Amino acid sequence: MTDIAARADAPTAAAEVAVRDLTVCFPTDTGELAAVSHANLTLAAGRITGLVGESGSGKSTLALSLLGAVPSPGRITGGEVSIAGVGDVTKLTKAKLRQLRGGQVGYVFQASQNSLNPLKTVGRQLLDLGRAHDVENLPELVKRARELCELMGMDGARVLDSYQHQLSGGMRQRVGIVFALVLNAKVLVLDEPTTALDMLSQAAVLRIIARVHRDIGLTTLIVTHDMGVVSELADRLAVMYGGRIVEDGPAEEVLGSPSHPYTKALINATARVTGEIGRARALPGRPPDLTSIPAEGCVFRERCAFAMDVCASVEPELARWRDERRRACHAEVETVTTEGVAAS
Amino acid sequence: MIEARGIKRTFHAHGAFTGAHVVQALRGVDFTLPDGGAVSFIGESGCGKTTLGRILAGLETFDEGELLVDGADVGSLGKRGRDEVFRSIQIVHQDPYSVLNPTRTIAATLGDPLKMIARRRGEKDKGAQQARARELLELVGLQPDGVLQKFPHQLSGGQRQRVVIARALTVDPKVLIADEAVSMIDVSMRLGILSLLRDLRERLGISLVFITHDVATARYLGEGGELHVIYRGEVIERGPVETLIQSPVHPYTQCLLSAVPVLKGLEEPGPDRLLPKDMLDANVETPGCLFEPRCPFATDKCRAEHPVLGAETIAGVEVQHACFHPEVRNVAAVDLETV
Repeated sequence: MTDIAARADAPTAAAEVAVRDLTVCFPTDTGELAAVSHANLTLAAGRITGLVGESGSGKSTLALSLLGAVPSPGRITGGEVSIAGVGDVTKLTKAKLRQLRGGQVGYVFQASQNSLNPLKTVGRQLLDLGRAHDVENLPELVKRARELCELMGMDGARVLDSYQHQLSGGMRQRVGIVFALVLNAKVLVLDEPTTALDMLSQAAVLRIIARVHRDIGLTTLIVTHDMGVVSELADRLAVMYGGRIVEDGPAEEVLGSPSHPYTKALINATARVTGEIGRARALPGRPPDLTSIPAEGCVFRERCAFAMDVCASVEPELARWRDERRRACHAEVETVTTEGVAAS
Repeated sequence: MIEARGIKRTFHAHGAFTGAHVVQALRGVDFTLPDGGAVSFIGESGCGKTTLGRILAGLETFDEGELLVDGADVGSLGKRGRDEVFRSIQIVHQDPYSVLNPTRTIAATLGDPLKMIARRRGEKDKGAQQARARELLELVGLQPDGVLQKFPHQLSGGQRQRVVIARALTVDPKVLIADEAVSMIDVSMRLGILSLLRDLRERLGISLVFITHDVATARYLGEGGELHVIYRGEVIERGPVETLIQSPVHPYTQCLLSAVPVLKGLEEPGPDRLLPKDMLDANVETPGCLFEPRCPFATDKCRAEHPVLGAETIAGVEVQHACFHPEVRNVAAVDLETV
């Protein structure tokens, strides 16, 4: 039984999240295939971490495993996800997991602007959420939701009385964040928070995420395919490809001097408002899906401009090469960072 | 060549409880698209840019104004004539997942329009149609053998969008309209699609109309063309793409450019970055400037009078804008390498 009032007054210390050697497998006709393979990632307490990858890179699966909610028939086959104050998520019972989801960990789903019930007002859905989590003091919950709405620049009373079609895309997205945070989550996961929003709404939502993160003191994970979104918000950046984390480090450093050929090619392939138009280079090939991930060797080698013989047989390990930066690549750091163009 | 003059479109909606209300999607849009040229339209959701694209593709009618395609006034043509005109203008939609029939192979998808064209021309050679399908797939950068017998679900988003473009090309169009054509494509494949469209413009002389909310892709695709900034159905600033990005004078354009994410470590934000005062409220009708409720620089004049698009030279640059207080502000991100 949770008493929301007591928890609202308690200081919310940000919690660290550590993903250790996590492997998530999906059974297929050709045997068990890993959507996430031996992932190591630490979400530093009170920081915003960006997880960047394309569709099929396993980024959403990794994010869902923070909730212990890997979609069936997939399952976590190895490793652990430990959240400070909660313990190892992979070992929690079903009842504990239900409390965790929406409780300590708030999750804003991809296209969450479309995940509101069209037949109920936002307020009624909020009460449903409260009852599902055994909140006794529902008026307090409503009060907290209204505060969060104001914090995000919306009129709380109006929003709670609205049906989803009465709200704009950007507002629905913010309602998703309110729902994720209303039970005093300490960890916030946002899966593609700004897709389907235009530039101005995107900028507004990003500003709000940054403010809420700071004011409440959260540990935030942003899952996205958009380098720009990460760059605006994240302190740290992890890049995923083919189920592996291929590079991570402080966001500014990774963007400024990418050390993995994939990160570099991805940045080069971004259309930008600055610099020469001809500088942008398309990446050859296509991102792998579950069935086309190579069984051995480096997952990126077929699209890589730096591929060598060793890449076909030995999978590179994600290893530290400078203070806070890690990469998984056989090529020398200098070769990758100094080469003018990564892929032609 | 397409010339549009004063295109207006108003939608009349009638809700059960809200009563009648009128949405002015387009309030008089002019532009010229030369043969082999490019025009881009940028604006936020609900500004009327998609309606404009649909009008150009013949999928939507307009209430007022003139649309001239190669000198012929579309409004005065009969159905047959209009069909002929709009066959030469094809549209590529945003979502490649929903515009291909999931139960038909790519060969069948491309075969239908090719068969129709052949019948109209009185050709009966089936081999020629198949050869044309293969040629088109190669043109859009796909391997015909690997794709022809596949169903849409077996292809990636980028491949699907290429198939959609190939299908649009079956009728030898003169104009392609790309409505947010890359926003649902994986980032690493996006630039490939943009390059393809650029390539088609260069090699086949196909003109491009590019509709987007993303300034960066408009810059990439609309190179050398004109950029039109639409706000609530009205063009509020226009000019060559590069000029407009580097020296915008309308506060709305400046807000849009300020909203483009800055890549930390590679770029730094422009010094005059600007935020709109409020979110878009499409229901407010005002006698003054439409952007006035959100504009940080609005004055009494803006509340009372409606500015019209006009040319002016500001700080040595010729610009066309609809603002009473135009001023060049540096809002676009600055590349660290060139600083």
